[in-house]
Amino acid sequence: MSRFARRFVVSCGAAWPWLLVFAVGAALVLARAAYPQVVTFPDGWLLPLEGPINVAMDWIVENLRGVTRAISGGLGWAFWLAQEMLVHTPWLVTLAAISLISWQGGGLRLTLLIGAILLYILVSGYWTEAMNTLALVLVALPLSVLLGFAAGYLGYRSETARGIIMPTLDLMQTVPAFAYLIPILLLFGFGPVVGLIASVVFAVPPMVRNTILGFQRIPPAIIESACMSGCSRRQQFLWAELPTALPQMLIGVNQTTMAALSMVIIAAIIGGFEDIGWEVLSAMRKAQFGQGLLSGIVIVVLAVMLDRLTAAYAARQLPTTSHAGWPWRRFAVILVAAICGAWLLAWLVPFFADWPEALVFFPANAINAATTDFVMAFGEVMSRIKNAILYFLLLPVKLGFERAVVPFTWGVTFTPLAKTIYWLLAAVACAVAFGLGRWRAGVAAVIVAGFLFLGATGLPWALVVLAVGLLAWQVGGGRLLALAVFSLGFLLLNGIWPPAMLSIYLCFVAVVICILLGGVIGIWAASSDVVSQVIRPINDMLQTLPQFVFLIPALMLFQVGDFTALLAVVAYAIVPMIRYTEHGLRSVPRPLIEAGVSSGCSPWQMFWQIRLPLAQAQILIGINQTILYALGMLVIAALVGTTDLGQAIYIALGKANAGAGLVAGLGMALIAMTADRILQAVIRSGR
Amino acid sequence: MTKFKSPASAICAGAAMLALAGAAQAADLGATDAPIKLAINEWTGQHITTHIAGDLLTKMGYKVEYVTAGNYPQHTALADGDLSATLEVWTNNVGDIYPKMKEEGKIVDIGPLGLATREGWVYPKHMEELCPGLPDWEALKSCKDAMVTPETFPQGRILSYPADWGTRSADIIKALGIDYKAVPAGSEGALVAELKAADARKTPLVMMMWAPHWVFADVDVGWVELPAYEPACDTDPSWGPNPDATGDCGVEAPETVKVAWSGFEEKWPAAWAFLEAFSVDTSEQELMMKAIDQDGGKVEDVTAAWVADHEAVWKPWVDAATQ
Repeated sequence: MSRFARRFVVSCGAAWPWLLVFAVGAALVLARAAYPQVVTFPDGWLLPLEGPINVAMDWIVENLRGVTRAISGGLGWAFWLAQEMLVHTPWLVTLAAISLISWQGGGLRLTLLIGAILLYILVSGYWTEAMNTLALVLVALPLSVLLGFAAGYLGYRSETARGIIMPTLDLMQTVPAFAYLIPILLLFGFGPVVGLIASVVFAVPPMVRNTILGFQRIPPAIIESACMSGCSRRQQFLWAELPTALPQMLIGVNQTTMAALSMVIIAAIIGGFEDIGWEVLSAMRKAQFGQGLLSGIVIVVLAVMLDRLTAAYAARQLPTTSHAGWPWRRFAVILVAAICGAWLLAWLVPFFADWPEALVFFPANAINAATTDFVMAFGEVMSRIKNAILYFLLLPVKLGFERAVVPFTWGVTFTPLAKTIYWLLAAVACAVAFGLGRWRAGVAAVIVAGFLFLGATGLPWALVVLAVGLLAWQVGGGRLLALAVFSLGFLLLNGIWPPAMLSIYLCFVAVVICILLGGVIGIWAASSDVVSQVIRPINDMLQTLPQFVFLIPALMLFQVGDFTALLAVVAYAIVPMIRYTEHGLRSVPRPLIEAGVSSGCSPWQMFWQIRLPLAQAQILIGINQTILYALGMLVIAALVGTTDLGQAIYIALGKANAGAGLVAGLGMALIAMTADRILQAVIRSGR
Repeated sequence: MTKFKSPASAICAGAAMLALAGAAQAADLGATDAPIKLAINEWTGQHITTHIAGDLLTKMGYKVEYVTAGNYPQHTALADGDLSATLEVWTNNVGDIYPKMKEEGKIVDIGPLGLATREGWVYPKHMEELCPGLPDWEALKSCKDAMVTPETFPQGRILSYPADWGTRSADIIKALGIDYKAVPAGSEGALVAELKAADARKTPLVMMMWAPHWVFADVDVGWVELPAYEPACDTDPSWGPNPDATGDCGVEAPETVKVAWSGFEEKWPAAWAFLEAFSVDTSEQELMMKAIDQDGGKVEDVTAAWVADHEAVWKPWVDAATQ
């Protein structure tokens, strides 16, 4: 027996469960013409949770309303205080105070940057709106940090608590706020407080995660030495554990700040105060790109300001800090003096109290005109590109080759002969891989061929459950199998399978593009400082500029539809891929690179054999984040006319059906969690 | 309140109302210390309506506060009394929360706003060359090939309202039996952006839209002429061009109504009486929209100028409430 044949038999032995799944799949596909319920889950089998959730929700609202309204009263008061402080003071006072705080935290460079940011906000004419938004973030931030710290410490001390906290965090980050907008509106009443609560829900998880990580990473030696020097439990916590965990927790504070700011747009959708997000939304509704961009940039610079400020104060806690600032007592005196002086000046000279309208620079109409010119000049080219991507990428993944390959799109017909050749090629590829002893590659080839043939919307549901379940079981055992079956069962029984498959199709294509394109950009940025410096502010902007802004020119060029939605998802989800790839490649230890150079590696070998394997862990975090971000964007993508779970959430909102909204939101969260866990397990088993 | 079918009946009804108001006891101002909170939604026409009413309420001696509120969440706020009134609710895109809350008695209708509205399929003017025979709807049958897109192939494409506003376009397409597919737009911004882009690039487009809307000051459009709506169309299959289907006609013109918190009338009786009488003229609102969106005027200035120039229009509303 030849080596090829021997390996082939061994591979078949290893891959037999998959071969069985393929056989079942083939049978289901052949049976679907006679039994349509193979592809469409029968209505009679549905067990929708929507009704029970609505009943439970009514009960909760009825009974908890007193408590929640009291909470929202308290938060409303805190917000009012922050608002009074920021909105109703002369701009010079705010400028002086924030500049001094920047100087104290990070010295001259930071002060100059933040001064420039505040000047931009003044010149843009959005000062009041920006200060309202800032007030919201200033209330959300301490609340998130405190709650996050408490939950994080609890999770560190108790294994049981951690078991509950971790999946809850996943839900908080992946269920879109729109999905629970109805219940929180009913519970907390109308107004900025609802936006505040949505912000806190989304901003707490990074704080919890970093707190747990910080405490877990305390070297045992530190705790031992604290015990040996006779510390009480309290002293051990205050003097040994807390300071050691602090740097990691400060990273959490920084991420929490950014997360809180990214939710301001939700606060705006509810309304109740004149914030900057409202301006962005109004511009989107009117399809005014100029106004949207100019107000959106205010959010970007606010994010940069908060990011640099919190990062600077975090850096001060590290032993490597170079900027000391004034002693705190003197700083307080200077701050008070500066505020009083600025107030006096503003009282004497009205210019310093209210920025004169004549000095506002607002080129929105010029931007709008330029956009229209661009659309007219490049519209034709752009729609050709769009059609090519639709025909050869999006439609095959959505509908499968069997429905996407028609004369209108590909110029050919997918004849029975061509189909036979297609499947023969897949079988041959699989057999060759088996013969080479790589049964996983062979199985993957058949899965890809089947997926592209049927398309995400044409897959028999039972086949999906079988294949995903088998994969989960093989890489992660019984627990992962249970999660996968539970998630898919949830989607099926609640009748949201079709929109869920559309979500998976859109996210799948987006994630593949992000990994390829983002990976290449990340590699490029890692090898060139210039590229890295150009990319960084673009990344910052993509992440913090409300996506509504980009939708307008994208719509004008590409019209309503999947392609525009894909662009929106990719623009947002590509950022973590770029960041983590660059960071991973750059943090390869220098001695290893030098060792590679001295042993005569070519740049090519250096990349593939030294840098990439060492950066693998970081890149994988990037892929994980890209998946979560892509699913998170589906709600925004629904504004350009998708028909997936994101849209289901809006439809539920329109019908005032809290249960349906929560079911769709939970469906998205379960898809994200299952995809993430399976991916992580695949990688762990591959190592 | 009834809907006025002709100017004459409107005048009659107005006169009758004046007589009634004169005969009845003049309404009490009520709690003038507590501010009346009016919702500001996301579109210019609503800003105009609200600011005119707000200006006049201020003249009557009330404190008025303007509160930004999303089209959907504002109904929760009205139910709780966090907002006092919202003055331009379009019943075609408000979703189910408005009828639901009205039924539960949490919010109350003040009455129709009186805008002459229209809803239906529009197209940018150059479409008349791409699809000869427009505005007659039958033309859509013969020019389907020009309207086919990759996403809708082999059908033609008609852009529809966001999915959460209902399925009007899809229903009409089905009832008329034309070979088109309704593509949901996702948002009002998407509708406007497509119309502007199609107009600039001279590409084909037919989409669902409503009037008055500020975009029509920007883009010259035509309306597809469908068989005019009649109640019989919804109930009688033999009515209309398709003998086998109901709904084979245009849509009923949407209503615009003024909606308030359930305690409004008791707290501010005169303001209630004023708001009942208050209405907005479509062409006047369109002129003001143009002054704001096209010519860069501020809402407050434009509405204040209107109030200053049109005392004859609003005096009867105020008088009916206070004298």
